[in-house]
Amino acid sequence: MESVEVLVAHIQGLFRSSDEVSQLHSLLKQSEDALRSHADRLVPFLSQIDPSIHTLGYLFLLEAYSSESISREETSGFLLSVVEFINSCSTEQIRLAPEKFISVCKIFKDQVMQLGVPMQGIAPMRMAIRKLQTSTEQLTTLHSDYLLLCLLAKCYKAGLSILDDDIFEVDHLRDHFLYCYYGGMINIGLKRFEKALECLHNAVTAPMTTLNAIAVEAYKKYILVSLILNGQVPSFPKYTSSAALRNLKSYTQPYVDLANSYARGKSSELEACVQTNQEKFQSDSNLGLVKQVLSSLYKHNIQRLTQTYLTLSLQDIANVAQLNSPKEAEMRVLQMIQDGEIFATINQKDGMVSFHEDPEQYKTCGMTEHIDFSIQRLMVLSKKLSSLDEHLSCDPTYLSKIGKERQRFDFDEFDSVPHKFMQRAYLFIRKGSPNGVVRHCPQTILSSSIMIVLEKRVTMRR
Amino acid sequence: MDLSPIQKDLASKCYSAVADTCDDLMLKLASRGIRYQDEWPFAIHLLGHVFANDLNSARFLWKSIPLEIKESRPEIAAVWKIGQCLWTRDYAGVYDAIRGFDWSAEITAMVVAFSENYTKKMFQMLNSAYSTISVTDVAHFLGMSEDRAIDYALQHGWKLDSSCKMVIVKKPKTVTERKLDPSKLQRLTEYVFHLEH
Repeated sequence: MESVEVLVAHIQGLFRSSDEVSQLHSLLKQSEDALRSHADRLVPFLSQIDPSIHTLGYLFLLEAYSSESISREETSGFLLSVVEFINSCSTEQIRLAPEKFISVCKIFKDQVMQLGVPMQGIAPMRMAIRKLQTSTEQLTTLHSDYLLLCLLAKCYKAGLSILDDDIFEVDHLRDHFLYCYYGGMINIGLKRFEKALECLHNAVTAPMTTLNAIAVEAYKKYILVSLILNGQVPSFPKYTSSAALRNLKSYTQPYVDLANSYARGKSSELEACVQTNQEKFQSDSNLGLVKQVLSSLYKHNIQRLTQTYLTLSLQDIANVAQLNSPKEAEMRVLQMIQDGEIFATINQKDGMVSFHEDPEQYKTCGMTEHIDFSIQRLMVLSKKLSSLDEHLSCDPTYLSKIGKERQRFDFDEFDSVPHKFMQRAYLFIRKGSPNGVVRHCPQTILSSSIMIVLEKRVTMRR
Repeated sequence: MDLSPIQKDLASKCYSAVADTCDDLMLKLASRGIRYQDEWPFAIHLLGHVFANDLNSARFLWKSIPLEIKESRPEIAAVWKIGQCLWTRDYAGVYDAIRGFDWSAEITAMVVAFSENYTKKMFQMLNSAYSTISVTDVAHFLGMSEDRAIDYALQHGWKLDSSCKMVIVKKPKTVTERKLDPSKLQRLTEYVFHLEH
């Protein structure tokens, strides 16, 4: 116990200069075992240290205390100390020992879930992420834990503040899978289906050497959300890993059947398909989404009519969309107009609906602002890719490999070299890489820059 | 429990901000492990979400309210009825839900504001969706008697065809801004520069 008291006295005597902090850090690292052996008696010492000034010391003590199992009576006290710690800790000191901070936060999350009060953890976890991140573009391990707490507490909107950040750096691929899957679920709950599709797409197409359960579940939801949003499921993009390409469909057969039945457009057939597979959908907790898929079929059938007709009677719409009456058709069309899914006018006098073109002319101030904003975002993304490209070009491993390859080509053939690597780039992506940097890139002018960056990674890995 | 941020929003009639203020305050109280449920203004919180047309958050909030509180405070259920009618697109049901309850003093102003907002939105919807519509339906969507509905429609420039009891919709002219200001030139230069390099 004396060693702990000495340590605490040392922590308290610290002034904030950086040399003393690094000295303290090494001292604390050496005393880790001593702290763990006295884990159950550390609580009184915690109250003697101010977490805002002596963050590092408090962190080590807290981590040692939480590494042993905490008794039920002490749990609420523990939770409150962690909340206070996260609120008042100093960011620079935490970044000296991030693994310890993450470990404390994870134990906090487990305790909060065990106690059945996930809402208690939301605000502190959000603060913890902001303090741990070096920039809002970094994905930490805590992101997926935060989203999980939001899902359990049904505070979906709280998850948006973190989900709306663009992520460019990923440390561990597993965090990425969970983050994308939970993010997809939160977006589905808030009915932001386009954003959900993006998240689930990232989860399904991320590099992986073998198929994992998260990607399988993500693909199931991906199929359902694609059907609700677009009425069809797109094929896999070229950069999907081969593990996913070969195996995903075999693990999600009922959903693939549903998609095929949907494509035929008959609601009675679709309902029959749902009935046969109902138990599977139920056990995957996807039944709610499946019901939304059913109701979206009527919507898409009506939308298809706009491509063929300029005006159509309500009775005809009811017949084509297999609705019960013209009144029901009128209500459905009204809902679709309200939601902006269709442009039409209903003429009750004649019982007709006239379909229009999208009145958006892209000339208003608001629309130009929106376009400007999107272009700015693309420019930032493009600059990031160029700097990544430059960085890789200067990498000695890459240069040594390309030096060896160069001899086989004449100077005139230089331009064709990148194309030779392109096929290998696809192979590389399909083999997956354990610490691949994942990028979310719109399929536009940037695809060529992406390919150049990817080619270079390929040569490095061979 | 300090609920002053919510009171401030209500007093200044910033009803669209009520939902966010309530969410943040609730998370803060929850993180301190305080049992806030007994004194929490769930009715105002729910109505805040309904006002901002965020029916998903309203649904999740309703699901998380403990059963005893739902049963002991009928006002919360009454607000939820409004949300339910909006969710199931029972357009006329919303008016019935608003008028069918004796609202307490602190929430009345918000309910009235919501009701006016909703009538305006319904009218805009009818404007954009219909070229002709029967008088009964107009009354149904606007929650008014047929005569009042006709007056309302005529006030906004619609025409009445009394022979078949139909109203002819007149779409308002939308004025869109198309000003060009100098900062746009700056931005265009940046784009061209970026594309060239």
